[in-house]
Amino acid sequence: MALKAYDKIKHAVRWWLLRRLPTCKQTVKVISESMERRLSLWERITVKLHLWICLWCVWYLEHLHLMRNTIRSKAAQEPNLDSSSLPPLSAEARERLKLRLSQPND
Amino acid sequence: MSEPQRTPKSQSPDFSAWVDLHGDYLYKYAIFRLRDGSAAEDCVQETFLAALKAYRGFEGRGSERTWLVGILKHKVTDHFRRVTREAPIGETEGEEFEHNEFFTRTDEWNNHWSNAYAPSDWHATPSELVERSDFWKVLNDCLSPLPERTASAFTLREVDGLTSEQICEALNITVNNLWVMLHRARLHLRNCLEINWFTKETTD
Repeated sequence: MALKAYDKIKHAVRWWLLRRLPTCKQTVKVISESMERRLSLWERITVKLHLWICLWCVWYLEHLHLMRNTIRSKAAQEPNLDSSSLPPLSAEARERLKLRLSQPND
Repeated sequence: MSEPQRTPKSQSPDFSAWVDLHGDYLYKYAIFRLRDGSAAEDCVQETFLAALKAYRGFEGRGSERTWLVGILKHKVTDHFRRVTREAPIGETEGEEFEHNEFFTRTDEWNNHWSNAYAPSDWHATPSELVERSDFWKVLNDCLSPLPERTASAFTLREVDGLTSEQICEALNITVNNLWVMLHRARLHLRNCLEINWFTKETTD
């Protein structure tokens, strides 16, 4: 019984908060900007509170970091580019390059 | 493969051997950033031509490859600069990637995630994704519908980790433009990956 009441209160608090905080649409923009600049204190508080009650935006934040970290680790593998799965020069492109380099002043 | 014997300074190096030794590497470097084969080939060619001209200046410090990559880096940024300088940014560029439909609801929670577009749990880590070549294909396909400048901003920021100032200078935009572009690129890419990679993965 007590647990049920607790759940009800929690639900009511979340509902009340979500009505007053910036919407998801506004929050995802701030989440993206948090990767570019230091957020103001007010922005940090409202985003934190929003994330406390909105799992969708928590995942959104996670996914942005996952994309960044995946792309950066790919870029960090660059010394091994030779063995990467990216496409190599085609035979024709290779010939074009050699031809062009043999007449550099044209 | 080992580094080629370095030719004496006064002599011209064998450029056709250069293409064989470094061509693929430089091309892969460029295509990872430009996603377009012919633009990547152009940048590689310009790099070799610039290297040809500057070879006397190359004192043989460090490896030839590092030197060539250094030149290529500039050529790639020049390419971004060229394609974006020609067209000044328009008011409405990329507006459709604001994706208002993601946040359109008919109930009292309008402007919050619509159920159809809300993120789900991906259960993924960078280390497993990075090895999947099909993931990179999906990511490239997802980037391609974005406006050129938006995709370039995203690449310069996330692949090369350039600062806002450097990107704004290269793309001729303000920092506010940049933040809007990065936001739209991320909103679009995340959704596109969710549909084409993460949902497919679990249903396959």
